[in-house]
Amino acid sequence: MADTCFRCHGPDKSSRMANMRLDLREEAVKSNARGRAPIVPGNPGQSEIVRRIFAENPSLLMPPVSAHKTLIAAQKDTIRRWVAEGAVYEGHWAYEPLRRGATTASIDGFIAAKQHAAGLSMSAEADRATLIRRLALDLTGVPPAPMEVAAFVAGEPYENVVDRMIASKRYAEKQAMHWLDGVRYADTAGFHGDNPFPAWPYRDYVLRSIHENQPFDQFTREQLAGDLLPAATPAQKTASAYNRINRVSAEGGLQPKEYLAKYAADRVRTTATVWMGSTLGCAECHDHKFDPFTARDFYSFKAFFADIKETGLVPDRGPKAWGALLDLSSEQDRARRAPLAAAVEASKKAVEAKRAASKRNEKALLGAYENGSLAWTYQRPVAASATKATLKVYNDEPAPGNIGEAVTEPKPGEGLIVASGANPDNETYTITLEPGAGRWLQLGIQAMQDESLLGLRIARGSDRLMVSEIEAALLPEGRKLRFSTAASSIRFQAPEQHPMNAIDGNPQTGWGASTYGDAPVTSLALRFETPLATTAQSRIVVRIRHDSEFRKATIGRLRLALSKGLAMPVSEQRGAKIQTGLSAAVVAALKKSKSKRNDEDRQAIVAALDWTSLAMEESLTALKRAEAALGAVDAIAPRVMISESVKPEVTRILNRGNFMDDSGAIVEPAVPAFLGKVSGTRLDLANWLVSRDNPLTARAYVNRQWRLFFGAGLSRVLEDLGSQGEWPTHPELLDWLANEFVESGWDRKHITKLIVMSKTYRQASTGAASEKDPENRLLAKQNRWRVDAEVVRDIALSVSELLVERFGGPSVRPYQPEGFLAALNFPKRDYSASRGDDQYRRGLYTFWQRTFLHPSLMTFDAATREECTVNRSASNTPLQALVLLNDPTYVEAARVFAQNAYVSGGAPEARIDWAFQRAVGRTPTAGERAVLLDLYKSGLRRFDSDPAAARTFLDAGEAPRSSTPTAELAATMTVTRAILNLHETITRN
Amino acid sequence: MQTRRAFLNRSAAGALGLTALQQLIAKGAIQPLHHAAKAKRVIFLYQAGGPSHLETFDSKPKLAEMHGKPMPESFTKGQQIAQLQGKPLICFGPQLGFKRFGKSGQEMCELFPQMGSIADDVCIVRSMWGEQINHDPAHTLMNTGSILTGRPSMGSWVLYGLGSDTEDLPGYVVLMSNGRGGQMQPIAQRQWSAGFLPSKYQGVKLNSVGDPVLYIQTPDGLGAGGQRESIEAIAKLNREAGKTLGDPEIETRIAQYEMAFRMQTSVPGLVDMSKEPASVLDAYGAVPGDGSFSSNCLLARRLAERGVRFIQLYHRDWDHHGGVKKNVELKAQEVDKPTAALINDLKQRGMLDDTLVVWGGEFGRTPMSQGGDGRDHHIKGFSYMLAGGGIKPGISHGATDELGYAAVEKPVSVHDFHATMLHLLGIDHLRMTVKYSGLDARLTGISGEVVKEILR
Repeated sequence: MADTCFRCHGPDKSSRMANMRLDLREEAVKSNARGRAPIVPGNPGQSEIVRRIFAENPSLLMPPVSAHKTLIAAQKDTIRRWVAEGAVYEGHWAYEPLRRGATTASIDGFIAAKQHAAGLSMSAEADRATLIRRLALDLTGVPPAPMEVAAFVAGEPYENVVDRMIASKRYAEKQAMHWLDGVRYADTAGFHGDNPFPAWPYRDYVLRSIHENQPFDQFTREQLAGDLLPAATPAQKTASAYNRINRVSAEGGLQPKEYLAKYAADRVRTTATVWMGSTLGCAECHDHKFDPFTARDFYSFKAFFADIKETGLVPDRGPKAWGALLDLSSEQDRARRAPLAAAVEASKKAVEAKRAASKRNEKALLGAYENGSLAWTYQRPVAASATKATLKVYNDEPAPGNIGEAVTEPKPGEGLIVASGANPDNETYTITLEPGAGRWLQLGIQAMQDESLLGLRIARGSDRLMVSEIEAALLPEGRKLRFSTAASSIRFQAPEQHPMNAIDGNPQTGWGASTYGDAPVTSLALRFETPLATTAQSRIVVRIRHDSEFRKATIGRLRLALSKGLAMPVSEQRGAKIQTGLSAAVVAALKKSKSKRNDEDRQAIVAALDWTSLAMEESLTALKRAEAALGAVDAIAPRVMISESVKPEVTRILNRGNFMDDSGAIVEPAVPAFLGKVSGTRLDLANWLVSRDNPLTARAYVNRQWRLFFGAGLSRVLEDLGSQGEWPTHPELLDWLANEFVESGWDRKHITKLIVMSKTYRQASTGAASEKDPENRLLAKQNRWRVDAEVVRDIALSVSELLVERFGGPSVRPYQPEGFLAALNFPKRDYSASRGDDQYRRGLYTFWQRTFLHPSLMTFDAATREECTVNRSASNTPLQALVLLNDPTYVEAARVFAQNAYVSGGAPEARIDWAFQRAVGRTPTAGERAVLLDLYKSGLRRFDSDPAAARTFLDAGEAPRSSTPTAELAATMTVTRAILNLHETITRN
Repeated sequence: MQTRRAFLNRSAAGALGLTALQQLIAKGAIQPLHHAAKAKRVIFLYQAGGPSHLETFDSKPKLAEMHGKPMPESFTKGQQIAQLQGKPLICFGPQLGFKRFGKSGQEMCELFPQMGSIADDVCIVRSMWGEQINHDPAHTLMNTGSILTGRPSMGSWVLYGLGSDTEDLPGYVVLMSNGRGGQMQPIAQRQWSAGFLPSKYQGVKLNSVGDPVLYIQTPDGLGAGGQRESIEAIAKLNREAGKTLGDPEIETRIAQYEMAFRMQTSVPGLVDMSKEPASVLDAYGAVPGDGSFSSNCLLARRLAERGVRFIQLYHRDWDHHGGVKKNVELKAQEVDKPTAALINDLKQRGMLDDTLVVWGGEFGRTPMSQGGDGRDHHIKGFSYMLAGGGIKPGISHGATDELGYAAVEKPVSVHDFHATMLHLLGIDHLRMTVKYSGLDARLTGISGEVVKEILR
């Protein structure tokens, strides 16, 4: 009836028809004005609903044709019988108190009873090799190592394996994957610019909580209200990031009230889904149509979160970015930081003192600008080359202008250098200048935006420039030129990408440009240690090194300049001359009377006077060095968004969810009225969620856990235990497990162990389901399914022994197709794949870009986590085939897998057996071996006749290579690649 | 015979097992439609950023008269505003001239002469309205009918409802081009997501840079022959394992590998437009490989010919907070010719009758000025252009008020638009539902009516 009747005759008064309500018995048996009642218990003939559902006349028939809901004959008969038997109403199962069940009860007992009633029985236990692979994939997400399989097959007790796996960190990683889907944890903001926000320490909190088997009730309290706990620890505050990792927007022009309403609604939906298995979110605009949640309940629930400090527009850059943050630096980090911070403060004081002591002459500065002695002289290079790329110099020839203008006119290049062709991760440009006779104080580099470049449009394949070192030498003397100080034109220079890094002799550090890049030109000025005298014969060789960890962070278009004065690095808007050595903003500020200057003007003038005064140089450089050192430490300090409690905002019921409507009643925090009477803070909400008064949390949790081990929940609709969900196949079992969860002190590992120790879990999964139970809901055998997206990756990396296991830490970036982020903006983005160990981490640690989740994960149904997800689908698509066949991650895994197979020794057949065993935990059948051997031989023929192709094929990925790339190895790689592509490899049987 | 209800009312979970049924439908053995379809496919020319209706399809002489005067408060009181929050609201007259085109005399901006030349083939709806005033949620509403994420996009719904007509390409393809003005708002991949529907219904993005489809490229050094041998070996091994496991998913897996291989073979031919006659390339203004809107329009026709069900072309760069005149001029250069060329081309090939072409964005722009030469986001009234696939040609529908602020005559909501599109495809929007999160979810949410007046 919930499905067919309650839309019009249910809880929602706004859509109720004929003033008739059938979801409550006292309402349904009431007579109307004409003396008729919808239901007359014991008397179907007198009951209006029975008459109407059997009506011949279409105008009387219920449900009406227009509802597109049909009752089949058996359903009609059931309703008639139910009325005849007295129309007994029971509350909806999920809202009733937990039933304890007999002390002797067990999972197998409940399952066997139902099977018996249906004439079914349990299957035999799965074979040992299958069983341990199943267990390993379910509990740890990583397939068992060959030794583990061998030990188990040889008789290691099952319970030992279970205990070992549950105790492993891998178990926490596997469980966390699912929890993080529910709480929509990700690494980016999710709306609009979708910029990275500091969230990963929360992920690590979840990992540790699961690993340490923290009781679930405390886990609940810490996430919802960790900040409200007395003497909250950093870990508890970190947990409260739960309330902050919802999607947020930094789009200019958004209406704060609208977005605050969106954020709050997200929290209600997520909390209700994860903890209560409820669709309370449906009541945002109206009373729930099918469950007893009212709109008032929705807003009362929302009011629990009204104390969280937040803004509608959440800044995604600058000092206020992301609101309340917690610095999680370790004691050692802090100890390391303190003297650096002190040095910065001391240097600042020294600079101030110097400023006060030195003569500051604004007039002289303006004069120098006006008479041209501050100017930059563009250099026309006589040669330019790069390690791999092609550098083309445009001196007097017209350069293709391309800076996002509608129409671009080719103009003389004036020394423009354009990089094209090969685009390696690291690159060094060598440029030779012939400046003519002169005496120079500074070298300048100007990076030009180009619409054809990705990212900020200044780098060739990254969202930032990263110049790790600039070196120069004077020829023919062969004298190395040293620089004393450096400055960039960037207004908000990231401290860890300080210009000083480009002249510090350390290739690990660099000068970076990663602002929003509104200006088409970004400049760097370098001052020579001693003035440089050149003759007509002199040449200057400048080497620009891009050696940092950022890939392809190389300048796309640049000009070099020299200055005879102390020119500023200038970054102007389109069209303006930038050779002047002083920005238009500074000039304008200097020309204003002092009383008319604003803070920005004053700061600009101070900076210009500082840079153009040699007397200031020493103290300023000391300050810059101190800032760069501090910036490097600060950049790696872990931070996390946390909940911070302030005076609660007033919460009103929004009519139809309309944020602009302020007329609704004010509500206080409260749990849904039909479930209890609890008010107060987020902590009170958390306590109620894990109290005996609320039966939903334990049911929702164990139902989700059940799915992880059987492929479907006892009630399949994990996100909705309400009346539109599914009645559980085994309600007593669900309750018994839920009760066990509560009684055990909310012991998560206990529930897992109970499930995997059961006979039900250990059954074989082979064969088709019984005709009596085509969907195998009675579990007369185990189920099979393709593993989750992250595990698909983990299997390939583990089998090929590429997997690098490190528990927690900042998110990592697996290889990703170029240009995948091209539709992002503010700022434009490109991707720099992690290097070394971080390339081979578990899928769980992938940088979770909400609006552009990594395409391999996405293809295997990983949740984008824009919204709470508790039930991922498991699709089977051609794009999945393309990923396993062609994604460099999997090609590289096949290559390294082949190297290992090769090292394992023996004839091709032996290698095949070894690899097959390694991937799926069993030896191949004769038929399977023959297929792989054919593939091998045919590959061998091809690669023998084309050694270059073999070398290319074996060139996949960055992991260490075997020293002898041979046709045999390449042919072995076709075999390992086929094995990694098997359905069985990515299936849990 | 399966009834259409049985098909269209399946839950998302049940739909996983529908491959066989869909094959029957594809072969015509089952009629999946609620009623006879006029359109078999959709090409959606999505003008992302929010095109100004006042400089494209909606001529407002009265606004010109009011230029520079305060916007009457009767229009704006209590209404949502984006970046103009807290700023004076000043009328900003149309920046470009309008002209009547064709026998039908449809009015369009004079900078769109090519689109004007097909005025008698198109229907202009001047009374669209939306609910979301920022780009990301507005895109989400336009694509999924909901502001909540996790809902299927319209292309996924259509593919779910009708199945695919091609066995070697995805049934729902997304293309993206950038304008030259630099106003590129981000577009999340959720805009073509299958949401809670199985991911085989998701849109597949064809890229103009790099691999046309992600991971379509066989690993270097292996060659097409090596790839084919590998896929054959994988199929044999899967079949062998299937014998003992009895797992129907294995058969699907084998079929998907075959489909993947067919995609690898067919996509290069699809995107290689070098064999198109020069006259066709010229008509569209397409330069093969340049990734422009022109090239994508031509690619859209090639996709339509190959049986792709839903083709969505995003053209970014319509977010004209500033310089609306200069920027619409630029957009006109980019979209006028290829839009007209596509419709003409489809017509000449006899495909316009069963191809619904849609032209429009996520919202319109304010009649008030922003910064003296631009317009802010606007949701109360904007314009769409529709053609083919059962749309009545040569007509206009609905109107905004005299200042172009709100749709006042025959307003068409996003849900109405979706309902109409589905209707043309033979689907009753009320009856294509999937059980999700306790609701019979549908593309049109809880509202939406077919706009009958614009149907043939």
